[in-house]
Amino acid sequence: MSSASLQRWQSVSMIRLAHIEAQCIATTTLAPPNPELAEENLRAFVLLLSSHFQGFCRELYTECTQVFAISLSAAMQPTIQAQFSAELKVNGLNPTAENIRKDFERFAFQINFDADPKNAPRITQLGHLNKWRKSIAHHSVTPPAGIPALTFANVQGWKSSCDGLAIWLNSIMFTELSRILGAPPC
Amino acid sequence: MSINDNSDILSVGTLVNIRHSGYGKSKIVEYRGPLGPHGAHIYRVRVRRKPTPAYIEVREDQLEVITPRKTR
Repeated sequence: MSSASLQRWQSVSMIRLAHIEAQCIATTTLAPPNPELAEENLRAFVLLLSSHFQGFCRELYTECTQVFAISLSAAMQPTIQAQFSAELKVNGLNPTAENIRKDFERFAFQINFDADPKNAPRITQLGHLNKWRKSIAHHSVTPPAGIPALTFANVQGWKSSCDGLAIWLNSIMFTELSRILGAPPC
Repeated sequence: MSINDNSDILSVGTLVNIRHSGYGKSKIVEYRGPLGPHGAHIYRVRVRRKPTPAYIEVREDQLEVITPRKTR
């Protein structure tokens, strides 16, 4: 079942990212060529991709928190909501696998990315995305070491991996909340 | 993010009380979207500014807007 967060990821974020993708393609076919513009567009694509994925993670976490909280008495809800809101990683840090794990495991279960064989390359690519995001945001002179170069094809791959992880995470949280609540979340 | 019906969305900066909590006057710092059950609006509220800010995310029905006292 799709959460509101996943629906927004698919109907808003992915659409907007597709526009940026089209813009990147367009700037590579300019006549005369403008390689600096093409590079800036690609860098923007990386930042926006990371931003949108972080937004999805934040929204999914919030949605899960609120589903959990409303199952409790009114008097207990603020206490639980305060605990879920405290020291949240994805609020201010990059959406790394580790930060996602630390936040979502507050629901008292272990996230096992390896449970889906497709996740191993996705996690690797998420790591590449985050390293390039940091390098670009900090305007590093040298590219991050030991990871693939910043190419349009690679960024497209990272986008696909983020999409796969979003769908997987949504599914995992739906299952966990169903287990916790004893019924599928509304 | 497009919001189809934003007529009932509380503005950032609105002072509120959170029902059933021990928090005093708090301030809405972010509208998180219709992420609550059945599309309920969710707000990120700052419940403490010092020494370090503390936040909570709650549903709209948990909030009571503090009406500014009228002055002469």
